[in-house]
Amino acid sequence: MLKFIVSKWKYLVAAALLIFLILIPFDWFLGQYTSIMIFIGISTIVTVGLCLLMGYTGQVSLGQAAFYGLGAYFSAVLSKSYDVNPWLAMLIAAVATGLFAFIIGYPIFRLRGNYLAMATLGIGLIIYILFRQLIGITGGPDGMAGIPYLSIGGFEFDTNFKRYFLVWFFCLSVLFLSQNIVRSRTGRALRAIHGSEVAAESIGINVTRFKVKIFVLSAVYASLAGSLFVHHLRFVSPQTFDFLGSVKLVVMAVIGGLASIWGAIFGAGATTILSDELLLNLGEWDIVAYGIILMLVMIFTPEGLFVALKSATHWLQHNWRDLPSIVKRKRKELPAIVKSILKRSLLTRGWRKAEP
Amino acid sequence: MSIDQFAQYLISGLTDGSIYALLGLGFTIIYAVTRIINFAQGEFVMIGGMLSYTLAASAGLSIPLSILLSILSAAAVGAIMYLLAIRTARRASVVSLIIITIGFSIFVRGVAAEIWGVNTMRPPLFSGKTPLSLPFVDAVITPQAIWIIGTAVVVTILLHLFLKYTMVGKALKACAVNPEAAGLVGINSKAMALIAFVLAAVIGGTSGVVMAPHILASYDMGVMLGLKGFVAASIGGFKNPIATVVGGLLLGVVENVAVGLNWGPFTSSYKHVIALAVLLLILLIRSGRLASEERAA
Amino acid sequence: MSQPILETKNLSKAFGGLIAVDNVDLAIETGKITAIIGPNGAGKTTLFNLITGVYRPTTGEVLLNGEPLTHTPWYAKVLKPILNNRIFKDRLKRHIQAHRRAEMGIVRTFQHILLFGNMTVLENIMTGQHPRSRCGFLGAAIRLPRTRREEENITLNAMKYINMVGLGRQAEQNALSLPLGQQKLLGIARALATEPRIVMLDEPGAGLNTLEKRELSDLIRRIREMGITVVLVEHDMPLVMGLAEWIIVLDSGSKIAEGTAAQVQKDKRVIAAYLGEEEEE
Repeated sequence: MLKFIVSKWKYLVAAALLIFLILIPFDWFLGQYTSIMIFIGISTIVTVGLCLLMGYTGQVSLGQAAFYGLGAYFSAVLSKSYDVNPWLAMLIAAVATGLFAFIIGYPIFRLRGNYLAMATLGIGLIIYILFRQLIGITGGPDGMAGIPYLSIGGFEFDTNFKRYFLVWFFCLSVLFLSQNIVRSRTGRALRAIHGSEVAAESIGINVTRFKVKIFVLSAVYASLAGSLFVHHLRFVSPQTFDFLGSVKLVVMAVIGGLASIWGAIFGAGATTILSDELLLNLGEWDIVAYGIILMLVMIFTPEGLFVALKSATHWLQHNWRDLPSIVKRKRKELPAIVKSILKRSLLTRGWRKAEP
Repeated sequence: MSIDQFAQYLISGLTDGSIYALLGLGFTIIYAVTRIINFAQGEFVMIGGMLSYTLAASAGLSIPLSILLSILSAAAVGAIMYLLAIRTARRASVVSLIIITIGFSIFVRGVAAEIWGVNTMRPPLFSGKTPLSLPFVDAVITPQAIWIIGTAVVVTILLHLFLKYTMVGKALKACAVNPEAAGLVGINSKAMALIAFVLAAVIGGTSGVVMAPHILASYDMGVMLGLKGFVAASIGGFKNPIATVVGGLLLGVVENVAVGLNWGPFTSSYKHVIALAVLLLILLIRSGRLASEERAA
Repeated sequence: MSQPILETKNLSKAFGGLIAVDNVDLAIETGKITAIIGPNGAGKTTLFNLITGVYRPTTGEVLLNGEPLTHTPWYAKVLKPILNNRIFKDRLKRHIQAHRRAEMGIVRTFQHILLFGNMTVLENIMTGQHPRSRCGFLGAAIRLPRTRREEENITLNAMKYINMVGLGRQAEQNALSLPLGQQKLLGIARALATEPRIVMLDEPGAGLNTLEKRELSDLIRRIREMGITVVLVEHDMPLVMGLAEWIIVLDSGSKIAEGTAAQVQKDKRVIAAYLGEEEEE
């Protein structure tokens, strides 16, 4: 029995988590968290796309909220103003957003690094301004209300309980598909591009095409999340999709560990809980917290918080027996470590001393 | 558009353009020395503007003193940013550095929102508000606009002299051209990076102080201003301060004259979109060369 | 002499005013080991970059099996009837990009190795199988049976190449955790995994000790026995003289001599070029 548990522990943990996830929305369990869990599910879908783009392929997007917004507005406008079936609207939104990403993808992926970041930021802001200014279509800064619920046949997703399962069905599907992608030839090509573009090209990887494709995929994910968002809230306004919205998505990806698919849930969860629960009544402190998180995570664990925690637990698993002695040793070294960090950050070394 | 109207839009364009030029100079200095695009450049401007309001309007200091203190505070923030956020992140990738500077910028913005609230502030004008009329055409210019344009001119000249004639300025230039070679002849690249950040913060703070009475200051003014400064700097290729200034002025003029046309999409609601379109256009035009520069390096 | 596998004709590359490669005509014989040597700055690496498509030549062309490595894009085909005159004829042609050349069988290694540091040794080699496999985004996402079979094949092939360079025991290590010598071998294995016709090695011996160099020579001979043409740029003369069946000497961007090891060693211009360099150093 023990042997069975040890050998299959990963599956057992997965099954336990799945059961936990299914039980959450029931009132006798954690029903009061259903609403926030829906938002976490939606954010996770966008974050996974961003992880694929930033963590695996190494390409920055500071305009991801725009694709999220495009999905939301396409769904809202089509299903409300034009009476299109919400599912069809969702599909049209995903295709249109994907097509848009494809068209802008080829020119902007001639850029790299800083310039790419600025180009995506610029495109994101243009779309945000259009959401605000095209008042006739989008309702302008006040937004749109009264968007219909999704429904299958006569079954309408009109309560949080029902929508919880809808959103998490989509979320887990996206996670699963993405997991398969990163563990394939395609995933290796994406990581190769992150590792070295010149080398990737030299072994036959069409770097530009892969970048555009993953950009399109991340845009489609964002659009899907946007559609789910409007059919959940039945309301949409531009504020969600401004620059800060894009930065918030980057925060989720960074906390989740850029190169980790399942970390996306963790990143989306931590960020959503932080801003909606803990800091809701504290004004702008959530932005301050995001800023600090971004800086600390990028300075100390550039591979992302989730990945760092994972390797830390891995390390503990192997070293927990020696922990007391390690702590003892480290305590002796502590002053030296602190000194070196201080020196590294604060003290300017001799003016004329050349860097090696 | 009549010639008088055109002149009026040209004046507003040059005023806005001077602001963008100053921001662009900040981007250029930091990028040239450290190869970092500082997404928090707009925040230096915000700090300058907001502090000058607090010191002059609320605390009742004299205008020159409040200006000086605001600029010094911005410089201090620049130094803190480099020492705590940039320098500790050794060997960080481009993506990490982008995220770090964004993190710093929204951190500063959040703190500013807590301190000053979300309303816009108007520090006192430097020298009254009676507009002066121009010779030959029927257009006016406000005294504050003259201050802004004048500041841009003075800062550009001072920066040029600093880079050309002082030891520190020459060392900065050497770092920008070839960091390794500069290190070999005994220039401390970290000290130079610190100086670049402080210099950019001083220029940012100065421009914030001067422009705040004209365009009003608010905690979130940094985003759009930063982006437009980036446009100016990218016209200059992040290397050439003079080209950056010209780029900033051009952007300001294009933006205002386009809005002045008031035709099709060229209306004031889309003023920012015009600037963003210019940004994308420039990036795409330059992309070929940017790529080949990277390849060669 | 039979049809050479790789040729260059009037190949030149200028960076601004600096002419790095000047009117070079080469012919690389099929199935042989050819070395390109020359003093520092002779244009060897630039030549590599031109042949593999990293750079576009200023003038001239590269031919694989007698076919120029250029193609006519679709828009040029449309425009051809309209613009088919002397001025536009050449401009309608595009040089084939680096990744396509790898698919066609020209692969290279790098002086600075450029391994994928975010992958294990095995994954690095598996990535090399990219041009010989097909699965795309959709196939990967829903994990078709075909995808699974392909993935198994890739792993099996990768194991073959990993054992060929003797890194089997380090398969699961991070690629950059290997010592330099093994990193170089991994770089070669990754290139071989693309199943090339020509493999171009950029300074494979640099930084290796004597023992490692001997292993490298053995490996290069085994690559030749697999029927793959080898072209190498190398500074280590004993290594080159022991391996290469044909040697091409470049100096300041031009070809100054070629021949067997014995012929080249006697050539006056070659001696002059190398002596000149030593005096400077």
